[in-house]
Amino acid sequence: MRSLLDVPWWYVDDNKARSHPVLGQMLSQFRSRWTASSALSIGVLGVGNIGMVHLKSALAMPGVEVLAAADAVPENRNRAERAGVPRTYDDYATLLASEDIDAAIVALPPFLHAEAVERAAEYGIDVFVEKPLARSTEEADRMLETAERAGIAVGVDHTLRYQPDMVGVKEAYVEGGVGHVPYASITRLNDGPLGRPPADAAPPSWPLDPDAVGGGSLLELGIHCFDVLEWLFGDLEVRDATMGRTLEIPVEDAATVLLRAPETETTITLHCGSYQWEELPEVNTRLRLEGITGTISNRDHLPGNFYASAAREALSNVASRFRDGEPNVFGPTFYLQAHYDALEDFCDAIRENETPPISGLDGRRSLALAETAYDLAAETETDELEAPEVMS
Amino acid sequence: MNAVRLAAVDGADRRGGWRPGIDTRMATLESAIASLLDRHRESIAATDRVTIAPDVHYPFHPSTGMVTDPAVVGAIAAWFDRETDTDLTVVGRSDDRIAFDRTASYLGYERVLDRFGTDVVDVADESVPQRNEYRAADGRSVALSVPEPLLDRTVIVVPTLRPSADGSAGGAMRTLASLVNCTADPARTAVAATRAIDPELVLLDGTIAYGRDPVAANVLLSGSVPAVDAVGTSLLGRETDENDALSTLLEEGETPVAVENPDEVDLASIRERLSGGQLPPTDETHPAVSTAYRIYAAASGDAVPPQLEGR
Repeated sequence: MRSLLDVPWWYVDDNKARSHPVLGQMLSQFRSRWTASSALSIGVLGVGNIGMVHLKSALAMPGVEVLAAADAVPENRNRAERAGVPRTYDDYATLLASEDIDAAIVALPPFLHAEAVERAAEYGIDVFVEKPLARSTEEADRMLETAERAGIAVGVDHTLRYQPDMVGVKEAYVEGGVGHVPYASITRLNDGPLGRPPADAAPPSWPLDPDAVGGGSLLELGIHCFDVLEWLFGDLEVRDATMGRTLEIPVEDAATVLLRAPETETTITLHCGSYQWEELPEVNTRLRLEGITGTISNRDHLPGNFYASAAREALSNVASRFRDGEPNVFGPTFYLQAHYDALEDFCDAIRENETPPISGLDGRRSLALAETAYDLAAETETDELEAPEVMS
Repeated sequence: MNAVRLAAVDGADRRGGWRPGIDTRMATLESAIASLLDRHRESIAATDRVTIAPDVHYPFHPSTGMVTDPAVVGAIAAWFDRETDTDLTVVGRSDDRIAFDRTASYLGYERVLDRFGTDVVDVADESVPQRNEYRAADGRSVALSVPEPLLDRTVIVVPTLRPSADGSAGGAMRTLASLVNCTADPARTAVAATRAIDPELVLLDGTIAYGRDPVAANVLLSGSVPAVDAVGTSLLGRETDENDALSTLLEEGETPVAVENPDEVDLASIRERLSGGQLPPTDETHPAVSTAYRIYAAASGDAVPPQLEGR
């Protein structure tokens, strides 16, 4: 059994930092730009797939002004400009040096997260970092230590807990709807960077490069599952794990982890993989809480018909416009709404000088769980490879 | 040669229709591969150099039937290694989506073929000589650039039994067309490529076929390009006359396609399971949906998700 590492020595809760004379002064200095009447100015670092979702969210968010976006790929910069970004850069470091922004969304590949956060820290810019926070806890520690010293806030985009079906599970669980939950299971599957037929586009190479990403499916998908499980059950302990590869690729495309939540005395299995063809809008995320009196399942909190649900949301948003209301951004898409809500919560926290609801420490904790799982899986693999002693 | 010969592959011990271990699959394939290749021993073993052209267009998992199982090609390489002194090469071609060496490596081709000292060659590589060829197709002369390993060596095409994106059967002609450079339309390119390369044999991998879903058909088919493609097309529930390239080559055949089925493979059952199958729908948003979403977004003030922007 492994337990999570303790809170690092350098970590100071953001709220506590405000009572710390030096850190408090730094925070005050960096955050003095925000007032209730001014918009939070944002730069988006990386506008590939998920970066564009963040960009669109930020552009639609009241009280937020997107000043610039950066991406090394010209097509991505063009898309960002078409979406309404005033300025684009081919290098995120130049954006950070040139723009007077309050916060940056770091949607770069994982191998650039630490560097980008460290650059942002030089300018006192708060950061909202795409998951995984870093490629390792060691890298996360360096990143968070820098952020702490600079007095910047770090939020992490763990969106699973923002999905309406997960919120529904949590509400039912908190209400005690099935009594004690001795066992839970979570599965998250998709088709990863290689996709499914027909293969129309070139798959990016970095998601399959362990040096660039730090791992495979466990860091891409499992990391979300760790976050949502801790959100439900509290601290987790990893008991065992196994990794698999359905193709001869450099990282795992399947991971299974056995966990234990001591506070709720719940045993949990987690399985994630990037091997299964996904046909949107169907998404294969299953969460089941097996309780004494029954089961809580996220499937019970999904729309019965995604298209009918989308139509209802769309009509509701149009009607809301005529009543001078704000639209429920990405409402018809169901899943993308979670990204908007996560970013909105981060921005609200920054405005209120509060710790982001999913902080860098939360992101690090999920990473630590993944690392423990990798270690245990490697131990098991080594044990299996060792030749048995033959008695004659 | 207008006969297609079938060989059953023992699938009785395959839980779920698939055995992950490539050695296990190769062992299962050994007798079926031998039964088909032995009949062509004279023609293919007499040559010094043979090129194998499997369907390795993208690293889809072999258990889906969307690519040729590396175990099939491995079993062919094992037969050549055991029975002949032939120099064997396996070819594929990089395209604008993915490099062939990545696909071959991810699928396990490189590892299994390394055992037999078989080269895996990307015919798009600059080091591979290309030769300009001209062949008639549909009454017109078609110019194409063909990699020399497909011209100077005896060629065996090893496609998989699956539909293609345009709805027709994948097949040998399409596999050959994917290996040449040609600006003609797909049908004429397929005809011209098949004529220029003039393969000695087609060995169709139907161990796992893809219809609407994967189907453990547990069969191998061998014969000429038009004969095997015609049977494959039929198994996928398509009409051969809907495929212009295949129709062109079939019309030249002097005799109708015959099927030799010594293992009594249940073709009707395979056809029933595969018939009408097609690839999953593309992820690309239909332009009408993109337009509708933009109108909705303008009316509501909502954002347009990047996935629905359209190109």
